[in-house]
Amino acid sequence: MTDLTATSVQRADAVPVRARFPVHIAVFLAPALAIYTLFSIYPLIDTIRLSLYAGDETGARSFVGFQNFQTLLGDPNWSGHFWNALRNNLIFFAIHMVVQNGIGLGLAMLLSLPRLAGGSVYRTLIFLPTMLSVVIIGFIWQLILNPLWGIAPSLLKAVGLGSLFGPWLGQESTALLTVSLISVWQFVGIPMMLIYAALLNIPDDLLDAATVDGAGPFSVFWFVRLPLILPTLGVVSILTFVANFNAFDLIYAIKGALAGPNFSTDILGTFFYRTFFGFQLQVGSPTMGAAVATAMLIIILIGVLIYLFGVQRRLQRHTF
Amino acid sequence: MADVSLQGVAKSFGATEILRDINLAVKDGEFVVFVGPSGCGKSTLLRIIAGLENVSGGEIRIGDKRVNELPPADRKIAMVFQSYALYPHMNVYKNMAFGLKFAKTNKAEVDRRVRQAAEILKLTPLLDRKPRELSGGQRQRVAIGRAIVRNPSVFLFDEPLSNLDAALRVNTRLEIAKLHRDLGATMIYVTHDQVEAMTLASKIVVMNHGRIEQVGAPLELYRHPRNLFVAGFIGSPRMNFIKGQVLRVEGNIATIGFAGTEAPLAVRPASLKPGDAVTVGIRPEHMEEGGDDAASLRGTIDAVEQLGESSYVYMRLASGDDVIVRAPGETDAAPGGSYTAHVPRKALHVFDAEGVSVLAERG
Repeated sequence: MTDLTATSVQRADAVPVRARFPVHIAVFLAPALAIYTLFSIYPLIDTIRLSLYAGDETGARSFVGFQNFQTLLGDPNWSGHFWNALRNNLIFFAIHMVVQNGIGLGLAMLLSLPRLAGGSVYRTLIFLPTMLSVVIIGFIWQLILNPLWGIAPSLLKAVGLGSLFGPWLGQESTALLTVSLISVWQFVGIPMMLIYAALLNIPDDLLDAATVDGAGPFSVFWFVRLPLILPTLGVVSILTFVANFNAFDLIYAIKGALAGPNFSTDILGTFFYRTFFGFQLQVGSPTMGAAVATAMLIIILIGVLIYLFGVQRRLQRHTF
Repeated sequence: MADVSLQGVAKSFGATEILRDINLAVKDGEFVVFVGPSGCGKSTLLRIIAGLENVSGGEIRIGDKRVNELPPADRKIAMVFQSYALYPHMNVYKNMAFGLKFAKTNKAEVDRRVRQAAEILKLTPLLDRKPRELSGGQRQRVAIGRAIVRNPSVFLFDEPLSNLDAALRVNTRLEIAKLHRDLGATMIYVTHDQVEAMTLASKIVVMNHGRIEQVGAPLELYRHPRNLFVAGFIGSPRMNFIKGQVLRVEGNIATIGFAGTEAPLAVRPASLKPGDAVTVGIRPEHMEEGGDDAASLRGTIDAVEQLGESSYVYMRLASGDDVIVRAPGETDAAPGGSYTAHVPRKALHVFDAEGVSVLAERG
């Protein structure tokens, strides 16, 4: 008994001695922290700082508070473009959510059919465009859809639908939709793969049990598989959101920085590009650009926060 | 309540034959256990009865109806899976009520049945819990409850106890036996555990390599295994097999020589002739320590396992055969020593070169 007491007293003493600064943790964190600070945190903070300044013709900068944001949202020359870009961006996002993630879900369901032959071939082929450069994708689709010598008009004609063809990339009414669908085509492999992995994770027994319980294929999907992949659908949604609101490259590759026709494909990324670097007659303004970038950051942050606190907390990950 | 009958059922995946020519009749209210080593096709057979697998040939009847073409839900069966297969996103109540939703049962009736099943299985306080908040045994009971509420004619169990720890397994085994008595439904149960098979079954179906080796009451299989496989599979530790030879045949009495001793045994007429190679089987628990007569086996002890109430003596005979003897708990046997075990003649089994039992039916 005495021995035991002695040991426990020693242990109690030992605790404060051991609780010194955990050097090893700092050492392990240091490389990542240094890189993130240098390339991510510092530029971010500096961008926010820059958005509070204004430069004159000589290049001298002065602190102006939130005046850049007032200009952005209040000055008709700016706000029209800003709201247009934001609206287009929301449409761009909505199309991705519905079409890209919807088709991705459908493809994942098809891939997970037990009797599907050649599943891995389809998987690879559908995922392939994701690995291609956006510039190449934009170029190829411009060629395909070209009204003069693209193959889309002749293909449609071949199946008797020639009358449906239009210069989709060149019409204000269809350009944004067309660009969005090109992006959907390129990236549909990502939600497909994520959802496919989640579906594979559901044990077969569970689906068998539902079948024995009398659920048909649709009910099995609706009542069993869908609820179990909701967390993955949440992740897919937030990834889509962030990617769409940071998008720039495809529009730039297809339509250039002016995001024509008449800014109908202008999204926040292209709007930021013109503001920051300038384009044709527009003079670039690093400080206004920083304000646009900060606005984008805030928009994405709001979206992510809504997801984190409004959606993800309600989603339960299931272990099987 | 219904009979189940299988006629010429066969199943193959591509060129691989999983089951061939399975014929089996399960009577209403019987508790039938499919037992066999893994890969013998017992689970596939159960899934075929459930309708989760198609057959390549043959006919399945439940009640007086051919069910080959019926989906699982219309076969009046319920199945309990090894992994329990509870829906993780639904609470216990919804798990049990899920099947009734598709049977278009009205709300009040669903509620009545779920609560009744919960009462039987002592799940009432857990109805609002999610499966992950339950212990293994509770999950198992929910899985059984989900089967009960569907009020099936036939219960199908696919190794329902193998994920439980030993103590819980014994408990649940008793509960399932009680459930069978109370409900009186036909139950078909798959296991690789022969203790479960022996204790639960009113009829055991021993399967191997996609075929039925023998069907019978537990004790019948224990006493009269029809072939080497069944003899080796039923009983623990398994039956000792010793190579032997037919020395003489006089009428129905064949004298078998094995391990330096010989025994006259009543065999089926004309099943053996002198010089035939046979396998002699004797269960460890039927041998008796000591004895030093013509009907004794002598050997050196390799190992002794003491279990308290008994001991297992592993000995090697002069003939080279290894034999396990169940000795009394307080045996003096020690590794390296010599050992003698008496072999009662009436406990001997004899199998011919094809592994088929040749013993005449014992009274």
